[in-house]
Amino acid sequence: MLQLLRAAGAIAACGLVIGLSTAAAHHSATMFDFSRTLTITGTVVELRWVNPHVSLSINGALKEGEEPELWVLEMTSPGNLVRAGGWRRDAVKPGDKVEVDFFPLRDAERRGGTLKKLTVAATGEVFTANLREQEKPGLE
Amino acid sequence: MSIRSPAMRCGALLAIMLAALAMSALCVQAAEPSRKAPTVINPPPTAQDWADLGKLPDWSGVWNPKITDQDAQVATNPPPWNEQAARKVAQMFAEEKAGRPRLIFSGCLPEAHPSWMLITHNAMEILFTPGRVTLLGEADGNRLRRIYTDGRSHPDIHDPTFHGHSIGHWEGETLVVDTVDILPQVPLAVNEAVGLPNNGDMHVVERIHLADKDILHDDLEIVAPKILTAPWKTTRIFFRQRARKFDIVEGVCVQGDLAERVAPDGDHIFVPVEKTIWGNIVAPK
Repeated sequence: MLQLLRAAGAIAACGLVIGLSTAAAHHSATMFDFSRTLTITGTVVELRWVNPHVSLSINGALKEGEEPELWVLEMTSPGNLVRAGGWRRDAVKPGDKVEVDFFPLRDAERRGGTLKKLTVAATGEVFTANLREQEKPGLE
Repeated sequence: MSIRSPAMRCGALLAIMLAALAMSALCVQAAEPSRKAPTVINPPPTAQDWADLGKLPDWSGVWNPKITDQDAQVATNPPPWNEQAARKVAQMFAEEKAGRPRLIFSGCLPEAHPSWMLITHNAMEILFTPGRVTLLGEADGNRLRRIYTDGRSHPDIHDPTFHGHSIGHWEGETLVVDTVDILPQVPLAVNEAVGLPNNGDMHVVERIHLADKDILHDDLEIVAPKILTAPWKTTRIFFRQRARKFDIVEGVCVQGDLAERVAPDGDHIFVPVEKTIWGNIVAPK
């Protein structure tokens, strides 16, 4: 009986850890390596325009000729992107060809990072994602 | 009628006592309505109350935090942590530097007071209504502060909450706010990865005022006796981008955990997204 209780406790503890590990939150950005900028060229899969972090899914490759893979790049909030980088909900749509500069995750095994600059191939429109940009005078 | 027998005397005495009791009960009943009358804590505002709001300074529009100043103060104006807190904070800074930032607001809990004022990266707006100032934050459905300016005191019964109980008054064009009853679990944070539970008895006094036409200062004095050795003073800066007329947008933090999808039966639903233990979204392995 005691063993059963211990097992149940262990399972509950695991559940808690899993729950915490996937919980959303306002988080720091030091999981990204800001000393490296990578560039990916590919096709937009989805722009998730939500708080607290907008994310862009893109099917693309880091080098020409490589097999495309799904990458997910995180950004700041919709409000900050509008103010700091001129974004809008329809800035990109699924199927758009784009080139994206981003700071990759330090964990090189995960295909993720934080977006630095996006260029829409068809229009040449450029969107950036530095939330501190909105402090600069003259943005009004 | 004369009262002669002891039994009659006794009966008469009892009758007098009962009458006295009945009289006193009546008196109490008569006094009760005024003693038990409900206290009106939110009286209907008068036309004058609404007109008086026009005399307050113009804090309309959308206010953004000056994040570069928040960044700078991490080094230039750290809280006076006590010895035990300082050890924990040092550990959290080390983890953050190593790329393992602690999720101190895990589960989309509010940054709460005063950390919202200290470290937010999102905009807020400030509403004046008679007897109250209300702060509404962007990017979180649970960023909301109610500051009562109707002259009330803090309640006698403590009911701790994430943003505490705030009462305020105007000194000229400065709003002075006193906040108590903040949950002991609420972190006092210096950034999104470094902060400690205040552990109780936190008391925050703020002086909020315009420092320039489009610059708002919140001068805070934070007393947190369980983790600080002295009151911590800091000024947080908010700026207004008047010309672009940005509106606050709705934000529900937990929405970041969920992707919008359409189920086979046509229902529009949310499904969990994959995240790392640091809280950021990644592509599935």
